[in-house]
Amino acid sequence: MKTQIAKLFLFTQKINSQHIQIAFALLALVLFVVCAGAPEDGGLLPH
Amino acid sequence: MILLVAILSGLAAGLCLARLQKRPWTIPPLRKPWLVIIAFLPQFFYMYLPATRTRVPDNLAAAGLIISLVLLLIFCWFNLRLSGVWLLALGLAFNLLVIAANGGFMPISRQTASRLVPPETLATLGNGDRFGYKDILLLPEQTRLNWLSDHLLPPEGFPYQVAFSPGDMFIAAGAFWLMATQGKPMEAGKNKIAKDTG
Repeated sequence: MKTQIAKLFLFTQKINSQHIQIAFALLALVLFVVCAGAPEDGGLLPH
Repeated sequence: MILLVAILSGLAAGLCLARLQKRPWTIPPLRKPWLVIIAFLPQFFYMYLPATRTRVPDNLAAAGLIISLVLLLIFCWFNLRLSGVWLLALGLAFNLLVIAANGGFMPISRQTASRLVPPETLATLGNGDRFGYKDILLLPEQTRLNWLSDHLLPPEGFPYQVAFSPGDMFIAAGAFWLMATQGKPMEAGKNKIAKDTG
């Protein structure tokens, strides 16, 4: 258990602000195309 | 779905190009990405979240969609220096034009919709009813700027059937280009290759 917590701690230390910026920019791009586009596959309607 | 494929394939192309040019791939340096998050909120509550989308009147949902697209256009304006964003902006402007001209939803004809849902489902819907997330069923003769509406389809027999607009095509191309070039002008990339190869 202690080793797992230590591993998790080490992993979180490796996440720096650049990683967060990359994730945020990717999220923004994905949300952009989802919001800007209007393709329709009828997915919401009952088949 | 098709737009997410454009981002993923652009990312794959960008990674391959970066490897060929022996440089790291970096995410395009977007300005004011929080604008996109704000623009997503009306669509999330009015179009996507099942608990709220059924409670929101259509006119409020339509206004939310238009506000959301206008915010995205402002985001594009801040990021026009990045290659590919002009294509995104053009596609977005096309979609915004046709949506605004048709009461706040993307028009789709009954004929196009018949390729997406079974006839018995379509029979329950009338002219002017909402269809899917952002669309509205309209006759082509009632549709303003019909050529910008969701009237394009993949070939019959294609496993994934989806109706899309010319604006969607530009958005997909822009997303691919932006990810593949990391937002850098193509000329800069060519010069870099020329420099590397001596």
